[in-house]
Amino acid sequence: MKKILLLLVLLVGVYLAWHLMRPAVPATTAANMAPTALPGVVPAKIAQADAISGSSLNKAFPEASGTFKLTFTQEKDGFAQADLSSAGAKVAALTVSDTDANPPARDKFKSAVGKIGGYPMAAVGSQGTAVLVANRFQVQARSLAPSFTAADREAWLEKFKLDALAAIKK
Amino acid sequence: MSIDQLVDALPAGGLTVSALKLLDFVVPGQWDNLTGFDNSISRITGETDPELLARVRERALVLYNDPSQSYERAMSIYHLGNASGTVIGLAAAAHKLGETFGAFHFLESLTPRPEKAQAVDLAMKIVAESAAWCYTNGLPGDSISDFAGALEGYGKDNLIRIAAIVAFDGLIPLGDAFASKLMDSVGSLSASDIEENAFFQRAKHLLPGDGLDLVTRNMSAVGDYIGNFASAHGMTSERIVGGLRGFIDLTEDKMEYLGAVLDISLNYMEHTGTQSVARSLIERAVGEV
Repeated sequence: MKKILLLLVLLVGVYLAWHLMRPAVPATTAANMAPTALPGVVPAKIAQADAISGSSLNKAFPEASGTFKLTFTQEKDGFAQADLSSAGAKVAALTVSDTDANPPARDKFKSAVGKIGGYPMAAVGSQGTAVLVANRFQVQARSLAPSFTAADREAWLEKFKLDALAAIKK
Repeated sequence: MSIDQLVDALPAGGLTVSALKLLDFVVPGQWDNLTGFDNSISRITGETDPELLARVRERALVLYNDPSQSYERAMSIYHLGNASGTVIGLAAAAHKLGETFGAFHFLESLTPRPEKAQAVDLAMKIVAESAAWCYTNGLPGDSISDFAGALEGYGKDNLIRIAAIVAFDGLIPLGDAFASKLMDSVGSLSASDIEENAFFQRAKHLLPGDGLDLVTRNMSAVGDYIGNFASAHGMTSERIVGGLRGFIDLTEDKMEYLGAVLDISLNYMEHTGTQSVARSLIERAVGEV
């Protein structure tokens, strides 16, 4: 009987020792699977606060000229917005966002057929047109007035400094 | 409460909405009391596709609930900017009792002079607006020069809120000379005057720095704009009171209580602040989906 008890204690001891010596396995969540270690794999979602700052993104906005005026309205982590006015009335909202903080935004570009400045273009509903730059930055023009047509949206997207945006890194 | 619940809870009518609609003559067509979160999303984006609207809603909620993005902080300031009015209103009413009834004379020593209290409250409303605007739009809370630049381009719910601050916290309690009274009061304020302000006591943990410094810097940056707002838009206390008579029973002997009554009754800071925060969130969300 004593031998059996001794054997049981020994077995438990061996199990515990094995358990303690095993290297700790990190929790594998989508957030901490290092994307850089897997070339060609779409990067995982990053925290909003870690996205490229709006003050970097707003450098990619075009210059407004003639009757047009550009007024910056939001400058947040991973987002910049400016409203475009013509003769004092708002006609469009121009935005740049870092899709690393919201990767599903990239899905619509997978079936994109059109391009602007060499970057894939997609519709965002009936009032918005967007391009995806460097598979990361979404640049969007949204009509706020009927006079600002889909062709105007594409023309203004083309004015953005898209290649400079592509070069932005944190 | 999350932003969708706050926008869903906004009333379509009532005293605050009537008082704001009265100010349509000041900023014609700027404000149309947008209520209901889903309704706001479709109106602001101009979209009808339910799948897209659902994605915008989801994204807006994620952003609102992320403390690093400061939308909720801005909302809290608007909420408290409202509640402080209630306390000041009660203080002013108590003071008025002290003047009227000898038996309550001791109240005068307990309550601030209404004019000074109202001037501080007005200045604090502007400090609240400045900080909330900065947080909503992604700038450090004390980016007062950016706020001053943006103020001139204010529209919609933002602009009607400025009109309401001038009308209900400027013209009504302080009269047509509210601007000079405001600047005189601000010039002689001490740190303890700010510390005693009910809004400041409640909101100082949300504000970006020293209260007296914020008041002084904001007033020097936008005091003239606020002061000139009334004359630039044809606003007089008589015209505002005349409009209020359309839905508030005002007899001459109660006129002196009007400022206090409005302080207690109106919540225009929170009402329009909710609409402004929701608008910024929705405009961002549709840019990000």
